[in-house]
Amino acid sequence: MSEILTVAEAGRQIAAKTLSPVELTKAHLDRIRQLDPKLNAFLLVTEERALADAKAAEARQMSGALRGPLDGIPIAHKDIYNTAGIRTTAHSRLLEHNVPTRDAHTVKKWADAGTVMLGKLATHEFAFGGPSFDLPWPPARNPWNTDHFTAGSSSGTGAAVAAGLILGGTGSDTGGSIRGPAALCGIAGIKPTYGLSSRAGILPLAFSLDHAGPMAWTSEDCALLLQAMAGHDPEDPASVDRPVANFTAEIGKGVKGLRIGVVRHFFEADHRASDATRAGIDSAMDFFRKEGAEVRDITLSPAAEYHAVGYLLMINEAFTLHAPWMRERFHDYGELFRDRVALAATFSGADIVQATRRRRLLCREMTEAMADLDIIVSASQPGEAPRIADVAKWANMEKPSFTMPCNVTGFPAISICTGFGEGGLPVSMQLSGKPFTEPTLFRAAHAYETATPWRKTRPHIPLPR
Amino acid sequence: MSIPPIDEATLRTLLARAGLPDSPEQAKAMMPGAEIVQRLLARVNAPLPREAEPALTFDVVQK
Repeated sequence: MSEILTVAEAGRQIAAKTLSPVELTKAHLDRIRQLDPKLNAFLLVTEERALADAKAAEARQMSGALRGPLDGIPIAHKDIYNTAGIRTTAHSRLLEHNVPTRDAHTVKKWADAGTVMLGKLATHEFAFGGPSFDLPWPPARNPWNTDHFTAGSSSGTGAAVAAGLILGGTGSDTGGSIRGPAALCGIAGIKPTYGLSSRAGILPLAFSLDHAGPMAWTSEDCALLLQAMAGHDPEDPASVDRPVANFTAEIGKGVKGLRIGVVRHFFEADHRASDATRAGIDSAMDFFRKEGAEVRDITLSPAAEYHAVGYLLMINEAFTLHAPWMRERFHDYGELFRDRVALAATFSGADIVQATRRRRLLCREMTEAMADLDIIVSASQPGEAPRIADVAKWANMEKPSFTMPCNVTGFPAISICTGFGEGGLPVSMQLSGKPFTEPTLFRAAHAYETATPWRKTRPHIPLPR
Repeated sequence: MSIPPIDEATLRTLLARAGLPDSPEQAKAMMPGAEIVQRLLARVNAPLPREAEPALTFDVVQK
């Protein structure tokens, strides 16, 4: 196998019996063996399980019993997704030897769809503290330049997809943990609408902000993967009981007639993004206009408002979950996780009530802004990935995040690549929509991706000596 | 709304109240983050309009 396929391409070839799931899996296992020592994307490679999954998929292929477009597709899971009988650590010393007895709901759904599980992927500790160098495993590295950061917390998934170690993987997103690594690793990642995909069996960070979603090379792949994740699950109290849309239904329809609002002040004034990031968004808006979309600037509350509400609620909810362990085993956590989450001790119940009231206002503001729009556009990240050694301990608190508004409101949002910056690393934009309008996000993202050259370039990773 | 600045002694008291290690070293390591949190708290505690959350808008000084 000389070329890395997308999920959609591999699925078509498997269906046409021109690609063997076993050969595809072996090729990806070889690639992991060659490249992962430089990337640290995997905490655990489950080779035996992968080959068993692949043989089962190949048997279905041969007997004409394929389960759908994901049958035989090599994937891996962020290591906060429980996998029955397979170590699930949250990249933390506290769970170093934790072996769950049940699969997370979404892990089971992907397995039922015929995916081939290659292993468990690096994360920031408990999906929050990173990049950390004081944990049992090193942090993942960016395939575009291994001296650089992947963002987090779905850091291993971002690195593994970009490097072609897997075709898709799971992420979780509490303040941007799918969209951040997708942006810095130059791939696609969607945080679905709150309640669309179950969090049951996924180690939580902050229950009112946590979302489960897929990451892949293209938005079309994300649509295929989300199709097999979404759906009601009574074991997640936030899970929505409603019919699941066909996420690929609008792909190929173009953007004519879509109404797009650009929150320019987020990335020009509130937290000024790099020249390449801003140019990428401007160029994308030119494309959408040319293709018949209506594009205009809109104004929301400053990004710092959304950031303050989201961040305070996040560390408060995380502290609520972790307080018993933090009191007993404080120094078993990595420094970044423990020192960030322990800050919840510095604010009061009254502060949380105020943050919750303000959250309600921000949800209303976003709903009103979207009333006559289909999509809101912003940056995903302020620029290219910084050097991993230069990421400051408090970096994710200090400046407002572009991704947090959709965690605060629960609205869906996807990050896609818009080119490369001066350092040769990817830049990106974020498209968000009304609740449960993921098909429209995939429609616009796919139109842009197929009209631009960015999906044709993969990172070159020099082999270790 | 202004939030009083936090100092290391206060931070140690709050950590101890939460049952967390409250050594001088721990407080020093967290102080930059605690200062950022104070700024976030000032934002969320700015005055809210009456419609912020109907069940919670009671204010002893009704505006």
